[in-house]
Amino acid sequence: MIFTTQDIQKTFKTGEVAEEILKGIDLSLTEGEITALVGASGSGKSTLLTIAAGLQAASGGEIHFDGGELTAMNQEQIRKIRAQSFGFVFQSPHLVPFLTAEEQLLLMLETAGSPLSKKQRREEVDKMLHSVGMAHRKTAYPASLSGGEKQRVAIARAIVHQPKLLFADEPTASLDSTKSHEVMGLLQQLTKTLNIATLMVTHEEDMLAYADRVITMKDGRFA
Amino acid sequence: MNLAWKEMKKSNTKFVILGSIVFLISLLTFIISGLANGLSQDNAALIKNLPDGTIYMETAAEETHALSAIDTDTEKQVLMENDGAFAFSIQMGFLLNEQDGQQSVAFATSTGSAEFPDVAKGDIILDRSLEEDGIKQGDIFNNSQLEDEFTVAGFTDGAKYSHAAVAFIHPDDYADMYRTEQMQMLFVPETAQPRTVSGLQSFSTEEFLNTLPSYSAEQLSLSMIVWFLVVISGMLFAIFFYMMNIQKLGLYGILKAIGVKTGALFRMIWTQMLVITAIALILSIAISQLFGRVAPSDMPFHLPVDATLQLTAVFFIIGFFGATLSGLQIRKATPLQAIQQGEESA
Ligand SMILES: Nc1ncnc2c1ncn2[C@@H]1O[C@H](COP(=O)(O)OP(=O)(O)OP(=O)(O)O)[C@@H](O)[C@H]1O
Ligand SMILES: [Mg+2]
Repeated sequence: MIFTTQDIQKTFKTGEVAEEILKGIDLSLTEGEITALVGASGSGKSTLLTIAAGLQAASGGEIHFDGGELTAMNQEQIRKIRAQSFGFVFQSPHLVPFLTAEEQLLLMLETAGSPLSKKQRREEVDKMLHSVGMAHRKTAYPASLSGGEKQRVAIARAIVHQPKLLFADEPTASLDSTKSHEVMGLLQQLTKTLNIATLMVTHEEDMLAYADRVITMKDGRFA
Repeated sequence: MNLAWKEMKKSNTKFVILGSIVFLISLLTFIISGLANGLSQDNAALIKNLPDGTIYMETAAEETHALSAIDTDTEKQVLMENDGAFAFSIQMGFLLNEQDGQQSVAFATSTGSAEFPDVAKGDIILDRSLEEDGIKQGDIFNNSQLEDEFTVAGFTDGAKYSHAAVAFIHPDDYADMYRTEQMQMLFVPETAQPRTVSGLQSFSTEEFLNTLPSYSAEQLSLSMIVWFLVVISGMLFAIFFYMMNIQKLGLYGILKAIGVKTGALFRMIWTQMLVITAIALILSIAISQLFGRVAPSDMPFHLPVDATLQLTAVFFIIGFFGATLSGLQIRKATPLQAIQQGEESA
């Protein structure tokens, strides 16, 4: 098991009132598997995902990743892990508006501190764009891509540096049904072939078919 | 990857607009600073061209050199004790003749000095600007205060005082004209030890210039304009990058989420600021220098290289601060906010 959490707590203080959002979460993720997180709005799915991804701190509990304890690391150490070992897909693609599809991926490789040469990086990027079916648009800027195309580039960016974990918060929420299935099929295929441990939040029943495991959250706990 | 350059290439309109504004402001700054310098030169080149040193005048004159009269014994003693020291006087007056009409000049005289030209009795040496006005060597001038006539013996450069051409005359002629044997001021070069002389007040050349009422008024208002322009250009950078950064907070958050260092984002706006400032300044330096060449000769415009370089450095520093100040938002942009903003906007 590459990623585990023990007894994750999260409390938000708004003024005098402290609200317990996560009440002791034990989660583990396995390589080559998609773990889907479902549950009512406000049940704490996004909060759990962002804490797991090191984007915000937990109020209590431990997170272990690849032999290290995330919860004991400083900001810079966590940033490094995010850059090298984590991939992110969000609800909207969040591409850099002034970079071409190809450059989006090159930037990710550079950020991850890839050991590849310039030429090898280009080849890697070509391969990745090809596998998301975007090789023919590699010099296109985000503004000239459709919503589905953008999301495919975003997925390619999320995994071009071969992360060990992939975090996806409602990756299909902004896409229509056909495009959603396309994107999920892609995520499933890449999770398998690249042996990535994927944690995905979704609201869509249809998408659960792609998951290896489904966890339901209710009021800050696993139901 | 050079994010700064990629962005400038993609959204070049924004940057061209900013660059043009910085260019116009810096050009205006250079030209006004050239005018300020030119006016100051026109007003006091005679004093400004003196080497570093100390000027003395009578304390009782209360910083008005026209009222100062230095005791001849004191003068003799100071001149004897200090190598290169000399006494001098400046008075506004007129030169008159048939063909040239009336010329307003500043009469200046000194005991032998390397800084002021030697003039024989009855001769005058005039600033070069009068030669351009048509006065020739050998021209004869009258003066209402003097019975004898002056003969123009030659011309010299950079002799302006109180926006008038300087006319150097012999001390005896000066004594006859103004009915005084006493000189107004003493000059002691820096090589000699400056020290206090009883009854005399000492000034550095810069301090002396500020005792001239028109000089400080002119320079103050012009340098105020120059500094305002510099500050405005700094604020322009701050505001421009602030607006751009506000639009890009989401992007910064996402970039941080995928692991891009905050420092890399700062380097991005610094690079953009540097490139824009450099291009704008190179253009405005070139044009202001060209302006200096083609400006009409009676327009006081003087923009030396060191003043240009100083202003250039100030523009860079202030642009850097402006960009950095607005860049502080980058530090506040959190990955989390960006992701949640994405959710809300969708
Ligand atoms: N920064 C915060 N400060 C205070 N409360 C917060 C904060 N972030 C989240 N919450 C609260 O925590 C609860 C869980 O939020 P979270 O976003 O994890 O829910 P979710 O399960 O992802 O919901 P949705 O399905 O609508 O995305 C909500 O009640 C939310 O208001
Ligand atoms: Mg959510």
